[in-house]
Amino acid sequence: MIPTDPFMASSVVSKTNAMTEAPIKIMITIPTNGYFLSGLRDFTMNLVRNMTGFSEQWAFRFQSVIDELVNNAIEFGSAPGQDVKITFLSQKGKSIEIFVEDTGTGSQKKTAEQMVKWVEEHRHINPMQITSIRGRGLSSIVANWTDVLEFKNSPAGGLIVHVVKYLEKGEQL
Amino acid sequence: MAEVKTTLQDIDLSGKPGKAVAFAGQLDETNVDTEAKKIYALIDEMATPNLLLDLEGLTYMNSKSIGYLTDWYSRTAAKNGKIVIARPKPNILDILKVVGITQIIPIFETIDEAKLALSAAPAAA
Repeated sequence: MIPTDPFMASSVVSKTNAMTEAPIKIMITIPTNGYFLSGLRDFTMNLVRNMTGFSEQWAFRFQSVIDELVNNAIEFGSAPGQDVKITFLSQKGKSIEIFVEDTGTGSQKKTAEQMVKWVEEHRHINPMQITSIRGRGLSSIVANWTDVLEFKNSPAGGLIVHVVKYLEKGEQL
Repeated sequence: MAEVKTTLQDIDLSGKPGKAVAFAGQLDETNVDTEAKKIYALIDEMATPNLLLDLEGLTYMNSKSIGYLTDWYSRTAAKNGKIVIARPKPNILDILKVVGITQIIPIFETIDEAKLALSAAPAAA
Protein backbone atom coordinates (compact mmCIF):
# COMPACT_ATOMS: atom_id res chain seq x y z
CA MET A 1 0.00 0.00 0.00
CA ILE A 2 1.72 3.19 -1.16
CA PRO A 3 0.54 6.49 0.30
CA THR A 4 -0.93 8.81 -2.33
CA ASP A 5 0.02 12.05 -0.61
CA PRO A 6 3.46 13.22 -1.84
CA PHE A 7 4.73 13.89 1.68
CA MET A 8 3.56 10.49 2.88
CA ALA A 9 5.06 8.87 -0.19
CA SER A 10 8.40 9.90 1.28
CA SER A 11 7.65 7.97 4.45
CA VAL A 12 10.01 5.34 5.79
CA VAL A 13 7.36 2.66 5.37
CA SER A 14 6.66 3.37 1.73
CA LYS A 15 10.37 3.28 0.93
CA THR A 16 10.95 -0.06 2.66
CA ASN A 17 7.68 -1.72 1.85
CA ALA A 18 8.52 -3.43 -1.41
CA MET A 19 10.26 -6.57 -0.15
CA THR A 20 9.01 -6.85 3.42
CA GLU A 21 5.92 -7.63 5.47
CA ALA A 22 2.98 -5.37 4.68
CA PRO A 23 2.93 -2.35 6.97
CA ILE A 24 0.13 -1.34 9.25
CA LYS A 25 -1.59 1.81 8.09
CA ILE A 26 -4.41 3.39 10.08
CA MET A 27 -5.99 6.77 9.37
CA ILE A 28 -8.15 8.60 11.89
CA THR A 29 -9.96 11.92 11.58
CA ILE A 30 -11.13 13.65 14.74
CA PRO A 31 -12.93 16.93 15.35
CA THR A 32 -11.00 19.80 16.93
CA ASN A 33 -12.05 18.89 20.43
CA GLY A 34 -9.83 17.76 23.28
CA TYR A 35 -12.57 15.39 24.35
CA PHE A 36 -11.20 12.82 21.90
CA LEU A 37 -7.59 12.94 23.12
CA SER A 38 -8.09 10.37 25.86
CA GLY A 39 -9.51 7.81 23.43
CA LEU A 40 -6.76 8.56 20.95
CA ARG A 41 -4.14 7.90 23.62
CA ASP A 42 -5.77 4.59 24.51
CA PHE A 43 -5.84 3.62 20.84
CA THR A 44 -2.18 4.55 20.43
CA MET A 45 -1.20 2.55 23.49
CA ASN A 46 -2.92 -0.58 22.21
CA LEU A 47 -1.60 -0.14 18.68
CA VAL A 48 2.03 0.29 19.72
CA ARG A 49 1.86 -2.41 22.38
CA ASN A 50 0.21 -5.05 20.22
CA MET A 51 1.04 -4.39 16.59
CA THR A 52 4.40 -2.66 16.18
CA GLY A 53 6.96 -4.73 18.08
CA PHE A 54 7.90 -1.78 20.27
CA SER A 55 8.11 -2.19 24.03
CA GLU A 56 5.63 -1.17 26.72
CA GLN A 57 7.78 1.85 27.50
CA TRP A 58 7.50 3.06 23.92
CA ALA A 59 3.75 2.49 23.97
CA PHE A 60 3.55 4.96 26.84
CA ARG A 61 5.93 7.34 25.10
CA PHE A 62 3.93 7.33 21.89
CA GLN A 63 0.81 8.12 23.89
CA SER A 64 2.53 11.36 24.80
CA VAL A 65 3.85 11.99 21.29
CA ILE A 66 0.41 11.66 19.70
CA ASP A 67 -1.26 13.64 22.48
CA GLU A 68 1.14 16.57 22.09
CA LEU A 69 0.99 16.60 18.28
CA VAL A 70 -2.78 16.41 18.06
CA ASN A 71 -3.29 18.92 20.84
CA ASN A 72 -1.06 21.38 18.98
CA ALA A 73 -3.11 20.83 15.84
CA ILE A 74 -6.32 21.50 17.77
CA GLU A 75 -4.94 24.52 19.57
CA PHE A 76 -3.16 26.19 16.68
CA GLY A 77 -3.89 24.68 13.29
CA SER A 78 -7.54 23.72 12.92
CA ALA A 79 -10.41 26.01 13.85
CA PRO A 80 -13.32 24.77 15.97
CA GLY A 81 -15.59 22.65 13.83
CA GLN A 82 -12.71 21.56 11.59
CA ASP A 83 -10.77 18.29 11.68
CA VAL A 84 -7.36 16.88 12.46
CA LYS A 85 -6.14 13.92 10.41
CA ILE A 86 -3.85 11.35 11.98
CA THR A 87 -2.08 8.59 10.07
CA PHE A 88 -0.17 5.77 11.75
CA LEU A 89 2.26 3.69 9.74
CA SER A 90 4.29 0.88 11.19
CA GLN A 91 6.62 -1.71 9.77
CA LYS A 92 6.48 -4.25 12.57
CA GLY A 93 9.73 -4.53 14.44
CA LYS A 94 11.27 -1.67 12.49
CA SER A 95 9.54 1.67 12.78
CA ILE A 96 6.55 3.72 13.79
CA GLU A 97 5.54 6.80 11.82
CA ILE A 98 2.85 9.33 12.57
CA PHE A 99 1.51 12.11 10.36
CA VAL A 100 -0.71 14.77 11.95
CA GLU A 101 -2.36 17.23 9.57
CA ASP A 102 -4.38 20.28 10.51
CA THR A 103 -6.50 22.36 8.15
CA GLY A 104 -4.65 25.65 8.56
CA THR A 105 -7.85 27.37 9.64
CA GLY A 106 -6.79 28.00 13.25
CA SER A 107 -6.35 31.54 14.44
CA GLN A 108 -2.79 30.75 15.50
CA LYS A 109 -1.81 28.60 12.53
CA LYS A 110 1.88 28.05 11.94
CA THR A 111 3.80 27.37 8.77
CA ALA A 112 6.33 24.58 8.40
CA GLU A 113 9.12 27.16 8.29
CA GLN A 114 7.94 28.73 11.55
CA MET A 115 7.78 25.33 13.22
CA VAL A 116 11.28 24.32 12.10
CA LYS A 117 12.63 27.59 13.48
CA TRP A 118 10.71 27.22 16.75
CA VAL A 119 11.94 23.69 17.38
CA GLU A 120 15.53 24.62 16.59
CA GLU A 121 15.35 27.53 19.01
CA HIS A 122 13.80 25.53 21.83
CA ARG A 123 14.98 21.93 21.71
CA HIS A 124 18.30 22.50 23.49
CA ILE A 125 17.13 24.96 26.12
CA ASN A 126 18.05 24.04 29.69
CA PRO A 127 14.77 22.91 31.32
CA MET A 128 15.52 25.10 34.32
CA GLN A 129 15.34 28.12 32.03
CA ILE A 130 11.84 27.39 30.77
CA THR A 131 9.52 29.48 32.89
CA SER A 132 6.32 29.25 30.85
CA ILE A 133 3.55 26.70 31.35
CA ARG A 134 3.66 25.74 27.66
CA GLY A 135 6.53 24.94 25.36
CA ARG A 136 7.74 21.48 26.37
CA GLY A 137 5.55 19.22 24.24
CA LEU A 138 7.13 19.50 20.84
CA SER A 139 10.65 20.58 21.69
CA SER A 140 11.22 18.27 24.65
CA ILE A 141 8.86 15.31 24.49
CA VAL A 142 8.31 14.80 20.76
CA ALA A 143 11.83 15.82 19.71
CA ASN A 144 13.48 13.54 22.27
CA TRP A 145 11.30 10.51 21.67
CA THR A 146 11.47 10.45 17.86
CA ASP A 147 14.32 10.04 15.37
CA VAL A 148 12.71 12.22 12.70
CA LEU A 149 10.64 15.34 13.32
CA GLU A 150 9.75 17.31 10.23
CA PHE A 151 7.12 19.73 9.00
CA LYS A 152 5.48 20.43 5.67
CA ASN A 153 2.91 22.92 4.46
CA SER A 154 0.02 20.93 3.00
CA PRO A 155 -1.43 21.81 -0.41
CA ALA A 156 -4.72 22.56 1.36
CA GLY A 157 -3.10 25.25 3.50
CA GLY A 158 -2.52 23.35 6.70
CA LEU A 159 0.50 21.94 8.46
CA ILE A 160 1.64 18.32 8.36
CA VAL A 161 3.88 17.10 11.16
CA HIS A 162 5.73 13.86 10.46
CA VAL A 163 7.57 11.85 13.11
CA VAL A 164 9.43 8.56 12.87
CA LYS A 165 10.86 6.30 15.53
CA TYR A 166 13.13 3.42 14.48
CA LEU A 167 13.14 0.37 16.69
CA GLU A 168 16.81 -0.29 15.98
CA LYS A 169 17.81 2.95 17.66
CA GLY A 170 15.44 2.67 20.57
CA GLU A 171 14.31 -0.41 22.34
CA GLN A 172 14.38 -4.17 22.31
CA LEU A 173 11.35 -6.14 21.22
CA MET B 1 -12.65 12.91 28.19
CA ALA B 2 -9.91 12.27 30.71
CA GLU B 3 -10.87 11.97 34.34
CA VAL B 4 -8.77 12.95 37.30
CA LYS B 5 -9.39 13.19 41.01
CA THR B 6 -7.38 15.53 43.20
CA THR B 7 -7.35 14.90 46.95
CA LEU B 8 -5.88 17.30 49.48
CA GLN B 9 -4.77 16.18 52.94
CA ASP B 10 -3.03 17.88 55.85
CA ILE B 11 0.28 16.32 56.82
CA ASP B 12 2.62 16.92 59.72
CA LEU B 13 6.22 17.61 58.80
CA SER B 14 7.98 17.34 62.15
CA GLY B 15 5.88 20.13 63.54
CA LYS B 16 5.54 22.08 60.32
CA PRO B 17 2.24 22.05 58.48
CA GLY B 18 2.15 20.65 54.99
CA LYS B 19 -0.27 19.38 52.41
CA ALA B 20 -0.34 16.13 50.49
CA VAL B 21 -1.89 16.47 47.06
CA ALA B 22 -2.82 13.13 45.49
CA PHE B 23 -3.68 12.96 41.80
CA ALA B 24 -5.51 9.90 40.46
CA GLY B 25 -6.37 9.45 36.80
CA GLN B 26 -5.13 11.41 33.81
CA LEU B 27 -4.07 15.06 33.57
CA ASP B 28 -4.50 16.38 30.06
CA GLU B 29 -5.66 19.41 28.11
CA THR B 30 -9.30 18.86 29.06
CA ASN B 31 -8.88 19.03 32.82
CA VAL B 32 -5.47 20.33 33.86
CA ASP B 33 -6.44 24.01 34.03
CA THR B 34 -9.27 23.24 36.45
CA GLU B 35 -7.10 21.05 38.66
CA ALA B 36 -4.26 23.57 38.61
CA LYS B 37 -6.50 26.24 40.14
CA LYS B 38 -6.88 24.08 43.26
CA ILE B 39 -3.11 23.96 43.72
CA TYR B 40 -2.68 27.68 43.11
CA ALA B 41 -5.34 28.33 45.77
CA LEU B 42 -3.47 26.06 48.17
CA ILE B 43 -0.17 27.86 47.58
CA ASP B 44 -1.87 31.21 48.06
CA GLU B 45 -3.52 30.27 51.35
CA MET B 46 -0.45 28.69 53.00
CA ALA B 47 2.06 30.99 54.62
CA THR B 48 4.89 28.62 53.78
CA PRO B 49 3.60 26.09 51.28
CA ASN B 50 5.18 22.67 51.70
CA LEU B 51 3.55 20.38 49.19
CA LEU B 52 3.90 16.64 48.70
CA LEU B 53 2.55 15.64 45.29
CA ASP B 54 1.58 11.98 45.46
CA LEU B 55 1.45 10.70 41.88
CA GLU B 56 0.85 7.02 42.66
CA GLY B 57 -2.59 7.09 41.04
CA LEU B 58 -1.64 9.25 38.08
CA THR B 59 -1.53 7.32 34.81
CA TYR B 60 -0.95 10.16 32.33
CA MET B 61 0.25 13.76 32.37
CA ASN B 62 0.73 16.03 29.39
CA SER B 63 3.32 18.74 28.83
CA LYS B 64 1.03 21.46 30.11
CA SER B 65 0.57 19.70 33.45
CA ILE B 66 4.36 19.47 33.69
CA GLY B 67 4.51 23.19 32.99
CA TYR B 68 2.21 23.75 35.94
CA LEU B 69 4.53 21.66 38.13
CA THR B 70 7.39 24.03 37.41
CA ASP B 71 5.22 27.06 38.08
CA TRP B 72 4.06 25.61 41.42
CA TYR B 73 7.70 24.96 42.25
CA SER B 74 8.58 28.60 41.58
CA ARG B 75 5.65 29.91 43.59
CA THR B 76 6.32 27.71 46.62
CA ALA B 77 10.00 28.64 46.53
CA ALA B 78 9.06 32.32 46.42
CA LYS B 79 7.25 31.79 49.76
CA ASN B 80 10.17 29.79 51.23
CA GLY B 81 8.24 26.58 50.77
CA LYS B 82 9.09 23.30 49.10
CA ILE B 83 7.51 20.92 46.69
CA VAL B 84 8.38 17.26 46.23
CA ILE B 85 6.97 14.42 44.17
CA ALA B 86 6.34 10.91 45.48
CA ARG B 87 5.56 7.52 43.93
CA PRO B 88 5.34 8.32 40.22
CA LYS B 89 4.60 5.36 37.96
CA PRO B 90 7.44 4.41 35.57
CA ASN B 91 5.80 6.14 32.58
CA ILE B 92 5.25 9.31 34.60
CA LEU B 93 8.85 9.28 35.84
CA ASP B 94 9.95 8.74 32.23
CA ILE B 95 8.21 11.88 31.01
CA LEU B 96 9.36 13.92 34.01
CA LYS B 97 12.93 12.92 33.15
CA VAL B 98 12.68 13.74 29.46
CA VAL B 99 11.54 17.30 30.15
CA GLY B 100 14.14 17.78 32.86
CA ILE B 101 11.82 18.15 35.85
CA THR B 102 13.92 15.69 37.81
CA GLN B 103 16.63 18.37 37.83
CA ILE B 104 14.26 20.81 39.48
CA ILE B 105 11.84 18.97 41.77
CA PRO B 106 13.01 16.12 44.06
CA ILE B 107 11.29 12.80 43.43
CA PHE B 108 10.95 10.00 45.98
CA GLU B 109 9.81 6.41 45.86
CA THR B 110 7.91 6.53 49.14
CA ILE B 111 5.70 8.95 51.05
CA ASP B 112 7.95 8.69 54.10
CA GLU B 113 11.02 9.73 52.12
CA ALA B 114 9.12 12.63 50.62
CA LYS B 115 7.90 13.77 54.03
CA LEU B 116 11.41 13.56 55.41
CA ALA B 117 12.69 15.78 52.61
CA LEU B 118 9.94 18.30 53.25
CA SER B 119 10.62 18.23 56.98
CA ALA B 120 14.27 19.12 56.58
CA ALA B 121 15.21 22.71 57.18
CA PRO B 122 15.66 24.75 54.02
CA ALA B 123 19.22 25.03 52.79
CA ALA B 124 21.04 28.19 53.83
CA ALA B 125 21.06 30.86 51.14
